[in-house]
Amino acid sequence: MTAIVEPIIEIEHLNVTFTGAGGVALPVIRDISLRVPRGEFLCIVGPSGCGKSTLLNVLAGFNSPTSGQVRVAGQKIVGPGPDRGVVFQQDTLFPWLTVHDNILFGPRCRGQQTLDATDVIFLVGLSGFEHFYPHELSGGMKQRAALARVLINAPEVLLMDEPFGALDAQSREEIQEALLELCAKLHPTVVFITHDVEEAAFLADRVLVLSERPAHISVELSSPFAGMARADREDAAFGTLRQQIRACLRPAAGKRI
Amino acid sequence: MQKSRNRGLIILLAAALPTLILIIWSVVSALRLVPEYLIPAPWTLAQAMFVLIFGGNTGNYQRLYSGTFHLHALATLGRVGTGFALAVLIGIPAGVASGRNNLVATAIDPLVQAFRAVPGIAWLPLAMLWFGVGNQLAIFLIGLAAFFPVYLNTLHGMRAVPEHWLEAARMLGASRWQVATRVLLPAAMPAIETGVRMALGVSCAYVVLGESNGVTYGLGALIMDSRNLGGATLMLVGMLCMALFGCALDWCLMRLLRFVPGHRPATRQPSAVNGARA
Repeated sequence: MTAIVEPIIEIEHLNVTFTGAGGVALPVIRDISLRVPRGEFLCIVGPSGCGKSTLLNVLAGFNSPTSGQVRVAGQKIVGPGPDRGVVFQQDTLFPWLTVHDNILFGPRCRGQQTLDATDVIFLVGLSGFEHFYPHELSGGMKQRAALARVLINAPEVLLMDEPFGALDAQSREEIQEALLELCAKLHPTVVFITHDVEEAAFLADRVLVLSERPAHISVELSSPFAGMARADREDAAFGTLRQQIRACLRPAAGKRI
Repeated sequence: MQKSRNRGLIILLAAALPTLILIIWSVVSALRLVPEYLIPAPWTLAQAMFVLIFGGNTGNYQRLYSGTFHLHALATLGRVGTGFALAVLIGIPAGVASGRNNLVATAIDPLVQAFRAVPGIAWLPLAMLWFGVGNQLAIFLIGLAAFFPVYLNTLHGMRAVPEHWLEAARMLGASRWQVATRVLLPAAMPAIETGVRMALGVSCAYVVLGESNGVTYGLGALIMDSRNLGGATLMLVGMLCMALFGCALDWCLMRLLRFVPGHRPATRQPSAVNGARA
């Protein structure tokens, strides 16, 4: 099924090298090629500090490729934009705006003054909290608001950089399920960075395991639950997938010690 | 019910120390333990204050000041307002530029720091040479002294804006100008507000210096002139007026700042959140 769907993200031979203090070159991403079909939920896992976030930042437009091609919806990336919505790990809601005004920040910047946020607020489960300020919300609710804030821009792709990493286990499971429900309704293309194996196994249609820095794709795994509304944590196949991801991660992590 | 009782207790606690001081002061005055010319009685002070504000002919030196409060207050308000406005209008743009642009910071920050090392009072003789006595002198001294808190707090506020807020704004489609006006400025606003509030306090202090010589009207002039005329009573009345004047201005400023974009509502107590929202 995925083979005939047009790719929305195309990455060809991407290399990213940072120049550190004193001009020392630090290769972060080495020759990554990747296609993401429209509507896929792609999870990227890898040892911490391997360059997962850099890959996402290239897609978001915060970092530029050193070499290689990166296209989203056929367009070369020239900088950050509302067509590629990012949900950050940190809380990036603006504390001086209510939930409602945070969500409408993007549309208002682009001159859409009259857009209604009611639907998207309902979609992320924040109805009734429109006029709360971020400091009045729990961590999970903040990330729901952060998600709503990019969804209202109708992005081509959703880029999520360990968005639930700072949440407690229970809120994390709740918001993961809410995210899958939302995906079942909207069918967005999602690139989701995480270091949580369980999370990757639960959310993904496809999982990419990156090597340690400089990152390249070491293994690609398809979820047996791909295309289904949600993975069954109790299913044996779920356990197998989790084991596979963990096993792929381990050699990379082991070398670091 | 619980809450209103707490509130009553808080007011009682806050009023306890001033009340105690007032009682001791009254006793000291009634028993004439300290001469009147050093510490006048509370009731003498109250009477002089009344005459200063509302007029009334009492025969002594007070005739000179009878009912002139509004003239003094207005003169001082004009000087404080002008000097403070200049400090804010120059300090905020300079602080914004320095805070977000390293070239600007390199160019102007050392000079600002050098000037800051000179106490404002030390400028008085030179400023008198340049401006003589009067409005210009006071406005210059206020503007100079009030500039620094505005500039420094704005600068630090701008530098402390988390980079990921700016990234988030650009990702949501904000232009450079929109990032500056809708994210940078509101994000730095608490620091800017602090600077502006401090500047108002400094302005009220420096107006006394600016009015210390050669002006007829002004709360500072009232305090300084009473050295020759009214003694401690008028001095204390002048100080009291200055205090009320400063508090009133600060209150007005706080009200005004509520309308500034980026102003944070005061963080509610957790209990208040539940009470108000649930």
